Amino acid sequence: MSIARVIRLINQMQTDGVVERYAIGGAVGATFYLEPVATLDVDIFVAFRQQPGEIITSPSPIFDYLTARGGIIEGEYIVIAGWPVQFLPPTSPLVEEALAKAVTVEVEGTPAQVFTAEHLAAIALQTGRAKDHARLLQFIEAAVLDTRRFQALLQRHGLVERWQAFERKFLQGES
Amino acid sequence: MTFDLQRIIESKRAWRRALAQRPVSEKLAMLDALRDRTRAIRAAASRLNVSSPARPEDGIKR
Repeated sequence: MSIARVIRLINQMQTDGVVERYAIGGAVGATFYLEPVATLDVDIFVAFRQQPGEIITSPSPIFDYLTARGGIIEGEYIVIAGWPVQFLPPTSPLVEEALAKAVTVEVEGTPAQVFTAEHLAAIALQTGRAKDHARLLQFIEAAVLDTRRFQALLQRHGLVERWQAFERKFLQGES
Repeated sequence: MTFDLQRIIESKRAWRRALAQRPVSEKLAMLDALRDRTRAIRAAASRLNVSSPARPEDGIKR
């Protein structure tokens, strides 16, 4: 079981032209910047390669590619190297931007594309579940966010009020 | 050893910061190990017919 193997296979899938671009998000993406937090799956955001004449993009080419290489489909997941992996299309302008601006991080010689810390934090704020708030607090406590870039993201994606509410609820009295 | 809560909190913060600064490859290997452990705990909990100890605020996704 190894996330590193998952990353290598996704890179190969990109090289082979199945997806245009990918980026790791969720808890695994956050681990590139923070301390590791237990998770049971890997979220990979992808720009699907649209086939000529196709109106709705389909994840079938991804599933076909990976099952031919040992992946096993389990519901909405495909299990690769022991990890359930979920492929997600960008569902909001914020996630579209996160995918477009993903950065490449070398993991023992293997390039991995991952959302920036600021995008991961903004997505956590936008998603807004308890565990997303916990992750956002981790980003703040670890001081890994570029404040100017983060604030600009909040402005661009209409998240300023939500951020102010978050600050009132969780950061009042913090220095 | 003391029970100075402030010191305990600060020490936990320092430990988390140290973990965050480890190389990414090492942190990803920790995720592999954490997942194995979480699955084992869940399997044991389900054998005992008790609810899973993992809570959403632990960052467990499924």
